[in-house]
Amino acid sequence: MINSVIRYTVIFILLVLLQILLFNNIQFSGYVNPYVYIMFILLLPVEIPSWLLLILAFFTGMTIDIFSGTPGMHSSASVLAAFIRPSVLRSNSPRDGFEPGAQPSMLAYGFRWFLIYATLVVLVHHTALFYLEVFRLADFFRTLLRVLLSSVFTVTFVLIIEYYRKGR
Amino acid sequence: MRSLLNFLERYSNLIIFLILEGIAIYFLSTRNYYHNARAVNSIRWLAYGFEERITNTRNYINLRDINANLAAENTALRNSINRLVRNNTSTFYSVSDTVYQQQYQYTTARLTSNSVNRQKNFFTINKGIRHGITNDMAIIGGGGIAGVVVGCSENFSVAMSLLNLDFRVSARIKSNGYFGSLSWDGRDYRTTILSDIPQHVTVNIGDTIETTGYSAIFPEGVTIGTVTGFEKPGSDFYIIYVQLVTDFRKLQFVDVVANKRKTELIELEEKIE
Repeated sequence: MINSVIRYTVIFILLVLLQILLFNNIQFSGYVNPYVYIMFILLLPVEIPSWLLLILAFFTGMTIDIFSGTPGMHSSASVLAAFIRPSVLRSNSPRDGFEPGAQPSMLAYGFRWFLIYATLVVLVHHTALFYLEVFRLADFFRTLLRVLLSSVFTVTFVLIIEYYRKGR
Repeated sequence: MRSLLNFLERYSNLIIFLILEGIAIYFLSTRNYYHNARAVNSIRWLAYGFEERITNTRNYINLRDINANLAAENTALRNSINRLVRNNTSTFYSVSDTVYQQQYQYTTARLTSNSVNRQKNFFTINKGIRHGITNDMAIIGGGGIAGVVVGCSENFSVAMSLLNLDFRVSARIKSNGYFGSLSWDGRDYRTTILSDIPQHVTVNIGDTIETTGYSAIFPEGVTIGTVTGFEKPGSDFYIIYVQLVTDFRKLQFVDVVANKRKTELIELEEKIE
């Protein structure tokens, strides 16, 4: 228990640092803004109580908000992502269900499963995030394009990180 | 009572979700830049430390560019001094005329954080209330306009960048004086759009666009950019694409402009209304 708390704290700090120091400074173009910190929500154990998941997501989003000066934006999108995560896991569960104490990782359930799971959660998160950022429906399709392109990049980075995490 | 408890138990997740979303949306909708600046100040030991370090490194790497820009600016200023001095020598008397007081006061500040890749970009500068910065002061940098101060704390200020969907500034074509409204469309960080110029006006590619000074925020005649193209849509007005002179990715040092007669101007305008 203590062990996994420490492990998730380390993952949290690493992902937040990665987001603030690296990904917030990457400027491919106005269309691509990867938000890799969402991976923290993806990696939490399957059996985590929903209320804890929601509060952790809120806290994560808040941290990113403070560092990037966007009050409420990331918190809101992260909480939404955390809210739909249980349904995504349920609809996408392996044939004989999750084992007790399972972690949603590529190692345990394979590349294809992780790709679908990550893509769904990231899409919901990014859709909420980018539309909240613009806060208007003008340029609807341009925002949609930003959502899709950024999601592709976020998922790619999440997969790369997950691939290397697998070795440990 | 029991059914109420059952209800709460059943929908506890939904309730927590709605509460947290509510808090987040509340923060989002108030968009209190002042609190934002305060937050920057209070977590400075962490967030600002990082930003500072990144900015310092970036500044060091770009010293060559910064020097070149300063040299160019010096030359320009020296030229304008020369022009003024020559004009003045032809007069016989000198008067200390109280009417021609200095209207705009400039102070230099350094950016501690900046972004160009969002739709609503803000940047933070390292001067605040203690240095006399207040809301609605203009920020000029990189040869053109950069933004407007929207929140101040003791030592820092948050400014709305020109690259923000909510930013509007009154701008005119230098050659003929027709003015319109300049804003960013969120696409390219080098290009903004000037609208409200009627179609009977001649617009040429390469025309300079500058500020008008109607807003009491920006001084008159500060360069914004040059025309790179225009369209004639169905309406009576042009859509003019303006390439900014300010490169926001390279922006490091800016001038904050205080308008000393702003209160007077605003009071007068309110009196008339």
